[in-house]
Amino acid sequence: MGNVTYAQTMSSIEKLFDDLTFEYVRQWKAKLPSRRVIGFLPIYIPREIIHACGMLPVGIFGAGDRIPVVRGDAYFQSYICHLPRTVVELALCGNFGDFDGFLFPSICDVIRNLSGIFKLQFENKLVRYLDFPQNFDPEVGGVFYRRILDDLINDLSSLNGLRPTNNNLNESIAVYNRSRRLLLDLVRLRTEKPHLLSAVDFYKLRRAGNTLSVEDFNALLENLLQFVGQIDAEPEDKIRVVVTGAFCEQPPLGLIKTIENAGCYIVDDDFQLGLTWFSQDIPDYSDDPLGALVESLLELKTFSSAVFEDDRMRGELLAERVLERKADGVIFCAPSFCDPALLDRPILERAMNKHHIKHTSLQYHENLGQFHVIKEQAGAFSDMIKLWE
Amino acid sequence: MNSPNLTLGIDVGSSAVKMALVDYGALPEVIEVINERIRKRNPAHVIATGLQRLLECHGLVYEDLLYVASTGEGELVSRKRGHFYSMTTHAKGAYHYHPEARTVVDMGALFCRVISLNGSAQVHSYAMTGQCASGSGQFLENITRYLGVTIDEVGPLSLRSMNPARTSGICAVLAETDVINMVSQGIPTPDIIKGIHLSISGRIIQLLSRFKAKSPVVLTGGMAQDPGLLAALKEQAQDRNLKLEIYPAKDCVAAGAIGAALWGGFRHFKLLQAKS
Repeated sequence: MGNVTYAQTMSSIEKLFDDLTFEYVRQWKAKLPSRRVIGFLPIYIPREIIHACGMLPVGIFGAGDRIPVVRGDAYFQSYICHLPRTVVELALCGNFGDFDGFLFPSICDVIRNLSGIFKLQFENKLVRYLDFPQNFDPEVGGVFYRRILDDLINDLSSLNGLRPTNNNLNESIAVYNRSRRLLLDLVRLRTEKPHLLSAVDFYKLRRAGNTLSVEDFNALLENLLQFVGQIDAEPEDKIRVVVTGAFCEQPPLGLIKTIENAGCYIVDDDFQLGLTWFSQDIPDYSDDPLGALVESLLELKTFSSAVFEDDRMRGELLAERVLERKADGVIFCAPSFCDPALLDRPILERAMNKHHIKHTSLQYHENLGQFHVIKEQAGAFSDMIKLWE
Repeated sequence: MNSPNLTLGIDVGSSAVKMALVDYGALPEVIEVINERIRKRNPAHVIATGLQRLLECHGLVYEDLLYVASTGEGELVSRKRGHFYSMTTHAKGAYHYHPEARTVVDMGALFCRVISLNGSAQVHSYAMTGQCASGSGQFLENITRYLGVTIDEVGPLSLRSMNPARTSGICAVLAETDVINMVSQGIPTPDIIKGIHLSISGRIIQLLSRFKAKSPVVLTGGMAQDPGLLAALKEQAQDRNLKLEIYPAKDCVAAGAIGAALWGGFRHFKLLQAKS
């Protein structure tokens, strides 16, 4: 990254965010003939494995309001969320031309159906629906997930003939550990001083993290941490909120801006949850790195509506998160028609009530253009806490 | 000026920027209000120059202000301490001069909003006119252009009407077409304006009725200073047998800015208290 300025850093992030043609991906791939690009849908996939195979994992998060949906609508009923429509539209417009494969993590039926559409559309590319264990017993879910990862390595290796060694896997685990640590440093910095990096900029930064190679992203994060740490600015008198429920279909930038402008600092959110899926390092010195990946998933502390709950009480975990981030309240912010998030909402709301944590709820879709109602709601929520709590 | 408790509210609307300088003492006092029309200028520039003028006029520097609060399109105010939602600030601005108010109607450039409040300016609930602009100040302003009158002439002209014309109360586009037709039919200007006033007030009265508004009803926002609209509101309330006392707030145009300054002062001391 060299001696770039803060403005240049933010501008490069913005450019990446705006580029639906994946120019960075094209350039990255052109550097070596063995390089392959693997697109993945939200939320989590083991990017370490893709990296260890000499490939670039690239997040596919729809196109928001930046493309008109012409053909995408024909593939999904009107009561289905919006993200798959823009993903199909991008696919049919040839925007994924440089991609060699696509992974669809098991988060909901819509994503499963989308994987089917991709199988039909991209017969010559790798398309895999990736199952995750719903049973966290190592003898059951562990064995199952190990098999999934073995299959994934086989599939990926068939694309470029490179099979990762344990050393390759450990190196990849280490570089992603570093990435998560840097990102969590930034999250902690924003917990203390959310005014130093706006929620919109932080969001765009994380979107960049799902396109850039992990090495480039880490350099970007190091730079930004340095820049942000040097900013001397007074915070505004705003409430601090945790925004949750978005994990898959992305909120429009206008929505994030509206919440902040209405008097809230977003101190935590799940917009790009996959980047910090693990809060602890995965061991990067193991003789069995795949086993380390499996074990980390079985001990996952992250909560999401797309993860089977078992004995993990996500309401309690959300309450802990609110406490940890010193937040004044929670904004439940889910895409319309997102069953996992919307069905979980009453459970989470009950948990917030139990802990006397204020909350409000709203819905959006990725191409939402009018934010008046959200401004009303977030503004009223902020004033209620600031003036009458 | 030598007051330790000065706060400033800046209400950025779609057609004007309003500012209120308040001395937030034991009995908060509004020192000055400013209403600056934006008139196709950059709103951020209007805010910056207005603020500078206000400070210079009172021999102040920015740091003398305990709390600068924005409301409305607050993101256009680059330097501030906090932002309050316009509903909260209009309620507070009206309550400051009229603590007896139980309902506030904010009649702004883009919409009208009915707010119910308790005895401490706390908002209980609210209702708004729909998305159509036919109940808004901007619509009224557009009509004045067709009629060739100024906005200040609208109220007195409306009061002279003998036979109000009927216009669409649902759609601003249809209402504007109605007005163009009336002009070409030679209908007198006072009757056209009164018809518009009745159309706007009809929407507000409907809102008040549905909302089961409590009396007294205090009006804020730009349209609150229009005597023609006030008369139309009273007429229609009487027609519908609503026993509501309706009157405009003092400094009704700047109510949002006044409310922001007052809440700013409240918040400043609340934060101080929390710190200690």
